[in-house]
Amino acid sequence: MRRTLMFALMAVLAVPGVALAQAAAAGATDWVKPAAALAAGLGFGLAAGLCGLGQGRAAGSAVDAMARQPGNTNRIQTAMILGLAFIESLVLFVFVIAVILLFVKS
Amino acid sequence: MDIIEHPPILRLPGIPDHITYTWIAMLVLVVVSIAATRRLALVPSGVQNFMEMVIDQFHQLLDEVIGAGGRRYLPLVGTLGLFILLSNLMGLVPGLAAPTANLNTTAACALIVFFTYHVIGVRKQGLINYLKHFAGPVPGPLKPLMFVIEVISHLARPLSLSLRLFGNMAGGHILIAIFFFMMGFDGLLGWALTGSFGGLVIGAPGTIVAAAFVIGFLMPLKILVAFLQAFIFCMLTMIYITGALEEAEHEAHHAPAGHH
Repeated sequence: MRRTLMFALMAVLAVPGVALAQAAAAGATDWVKPAAALAAGLGFGLAAGLCGLGQGRAAGSAVDAMARQPGNTNRIQTAMILGLAFIESLVLFVFVIAVILLFVKS
Repeated sequence: MDIIEHPPILRLPGIPDHITYTWIAMLVLVVVSIAATRRLALVPSGVQNFMEMVIDQFHQLLDEVIGAGGRRYLPLVGTLGLFILLSNLMGLVPGLAAPTANLNTTAACALIVFFTYHVIGVRKQGLINYLKHFAGPVPGPLKPLMFVIEVISHLARPLSLSLRLFGNMAGGHILIAIFFFMMGFDGLLGWALTGSFGGLVIGAPGTIVAAAFVIGFLMPLKILVAFLQAFIFCMLTMIYITGALEEAEHEAHHAPAGHH
């Protein structure tokens, strides 16, 4: 069992190395750019969509609270903006990673 | 990113753009501050009036979030807020660059906040007590685990603070740059000018629609985001300071309670 695991781990670790070595031997790392574009697009789409769900929930709850307690609108609004910022920051991490993937020459 | 972002008008040789424009933002702030305080009048007018209004807003915010004694931190919070706001708005003027669209600037601001609130906490409470509080209100055996988690969460604060501001600014710039590219001579407008049928049918109205979208929606949104991000940065700074201070008060309340 353990030997199988070790072997699997080694295989996983070695495969990109092998692929890189082969690509370098062939004189082209063509697969890096398409893979980076794919990862950036899919990752950012996923992050943005889920962030939309989260922010929608937050904003909906805030509007609900404001409708119930119109006197506290200012404080609810501040809390909502802070919450939205926290949710959004996770997407921005993905954005930064996507930018790194797309624009940094590997 | 040089592919889609045009270089700003003023470039000093050998100095990165964001540093040049940080200096310009600093210069503007200093000049406005000097103009506001040069002839202080009891009944303010002009620049002094405006700056007093701004300071008043900051005072209100500090009173609201930190409470009593919050106005001590006006120099930090106000400077950060005004600098970030001005930097964000500079990015919207064609030909200028936003210093906050560079990770170095935002990381510098975030690191200042990070060290400041720790120093405030340590000063208020002493190093040992401040560190003790990282372990949180959990039973003894869990304390080391809690301490590690808390340290990681504190280290994540400057990261998220800097990346949030940078991501918002740089993301907006890329978005607007792509729209300008799309409706420019390389995009829809160029297509319309070729005189082909498709260009006339799709390119010409497309250019107008894209321009209307940018002017009517994206630019107001960017202005809103500029204000919002400056506000959020200040707000989080104040909340972190409050956290450092509250821990002190919390500890002070705890000590007599422990004697009972």
